[in-house]
Amino acid sequence: MNLIAPLITLDTTLLDISFTSKKKLFEHAADLFAQTRGLKASDIFTSLFERERLGSTALGHGIAIPHGRIKGLKEACGAFYRLKSPLEFDAPDSQPVTLCFILLVPKDANERHLQILGELAQLFGDETMRTQMLDAATPSDLMGRLESWSS
Amino acid sequence: MKIIILGAGQVGANLAESLVAENNDITVIDLDAARLVLLQDRFDLRTVRGHAAHPSVLKQAGAEDADMLVAVTQSDETNLVACRIASTLFNVPTRIARIRSNDFLGLEPGFLAEQFGVDDVISPEQEVTDTLRRLIEHPEALQVLDFAGGKVRLIAVRSYHGGPLVGHELQEIKRHMPDLECRIPAIYRRDHGIVPKGITVIEPGDEVFFLARKQDIPSVMRELRRMERRVKKVMIAGGGNIGRRLAAQIERDYDVKVIDHNKKVSNLLAEQLHHTLVLQGDATDEELLEQENIASMDVFCALTNDDEDNIMSALLAKRMGAHRVIALINRSAYVDLVQGGEIDIAISPAQATVGPLLSKIRRGDMVAVHSLRRGAAEVLEVVVHGDAKTSRVVGRRIEEIDLPDGATIAAIIRNNDVIIAHHDTLIEAEDHLIVFALNKRIIPKVEKLLQVGFGFF
Repeated sequence: MNLIAPLITLDTTLLDISFTSKKKLFEHAADLFAQTRGLKASDIFTSLFERERLGSTALGHGIAIPHGRIKGLKEACGAFYRLKSPLEFDAPDSQPVTLCFILLVPKDANERHLQILGELAQLFGDETMRTQMLDAATPSDLMGRLESWSS
Repeated sequence: MKIIILGAGQVGANLAESLVAENNDITVIDLDAARLVLLQDRFDLRTVRGHAAHPSVLKQAGAEDADMLVAVTQSDETNLVACRIASTLFNVPTRIARIRSNDFLGLEPGFLAEQFGVDDVISPEQEVTDTLRRLIEHPEALQVLDFAGGKVRLIAVRSYHGGPLVGHELQEIKRHMPDLECRIPAIYRRDHGIVPKGITVIEPGDEVFFLARKQDIPSVMRELRRMERRVKKVMIAGGGNIGRRLAAQIERDYDVKVIDHNKKVSNLLAEQLHHTLVLQGDATDEELLEQENIASMDVFCALTNDDEDNIMSALLAKRMGAHRVIALINRSAYVDLVQGGEIDIAISPAQATVGPLLSKIRRGDMVAVHSLRRGAAEVLEVVVHGDAKTSRVVGRRIEEIDLPDGATIAAIIRNNDVIIAHHDTLIEAEDHLIVFALNKRIIPKVEKLLQVGFGFF
């Protein structure tokens, strides 16, 4: 089992959803985590935005992994978005983003969280995996593919 | 980034120009259709005509998707309401307001943030006043910039025939003052930027930028230029917002005279300023200047809200013997015309404001951005984060950093200590770097270099 699959649930795996801006995407994610994890939506929104201001979390190839530390969060959690209309993310290759994994970690991020982030970069860097994620028909299909991936 | 600018005046237009050039998605709101047309003709941006604080107008401008709102209309009240609306109705993540009135600026810190959702306040009048005060402190400078809260200064001086700077290699100058640490990150020769090396020889007319600790500036200056006389007497034409602020700030250190043509304003000034001589009259009136002994003035500042008046009175003052004259000029086109002629320094409030605004808008952890040479060059103060893995700067010696051509790291501020940069200085996390970018083209590269990498939490 890899470190990524346990971070998301069917509720936090969203396929072919459309946003008019990065801001709208972050607002959606903040509300989503607020519901599923009982966190304050504005904390999540601010944390994601502030991290993005220090440097883009886009990796190129249409991938972004926005992440932030959240006060009061017990363990890392994530949300997967496959975007219907690609979003501008100031990526190194200037390509707009289609696959987006939002990762939240507790305030005191540790070595394990860095490992998660590293593994995410590896997973999304894998071209076969990217194709699979773009092709997945349903959220459970996508989760299945994530579970069977190993670094 | 998607940025909404409220107000298409000098400040708004200047800011829009800078931001469009940096590949942002800009929408400008103004009541005046003619101003908007002018902007749209020149730049690739969207405009919306309407009241900048009205929710329907903000919505039309795309507030729901905006990353940032910059409210720089003439009206403080409009700017404040717009920030509040942007915050509560549209959840715009970052809101900046221009505030002129001391009534608002004097409120306790945090009030505008809590009550009006203003993340950052910018006051062009305050920026200009600070700029003027520094120029009066260093009358031989063309420009004086503060970093790290004033611990380090960057100063531009012009070299002249027969001056101590000219005809020497830079390394010689360093040999001359072994105990003083100073960096020369840039020289402009006939409008062309040069990153100097040890063997670079300074020519007459060069604009030389040097950086040193604040306490070392007078000694360095003595080496670089013939010591000019210390400023004692300052005359200010125009007792408006800027003239009054400046007089209040410097009246204890200098012998200050203020001239204003308006009787009411003069009376009010005389009541407020206890160490300043306030005169009612016209600053373009030769007789009055003569009477007030203009020839003995070390610095003359023309600070009315009329560009033409400022140019005229500054020219007149110079001709009549004032040592150094500074004119406040709102129209950017005039600034280029005037500066470097008989008028020693032309200051544009809009240009003075763009830098501080950019520092809040840019990506990365920027403490300060100073726009130099009418936006052609920049000096940045940036905090670097992360480690050798997540940053391309931290954990490296300066010579190992992949700086684009034309960029120089001039100094580092670490735990409040100033370190003048050398090729082997090691950069640590949370250091403040002072970076000089010789031309605008390389700024996106510099910015990218200083941002944290993906792996930073």
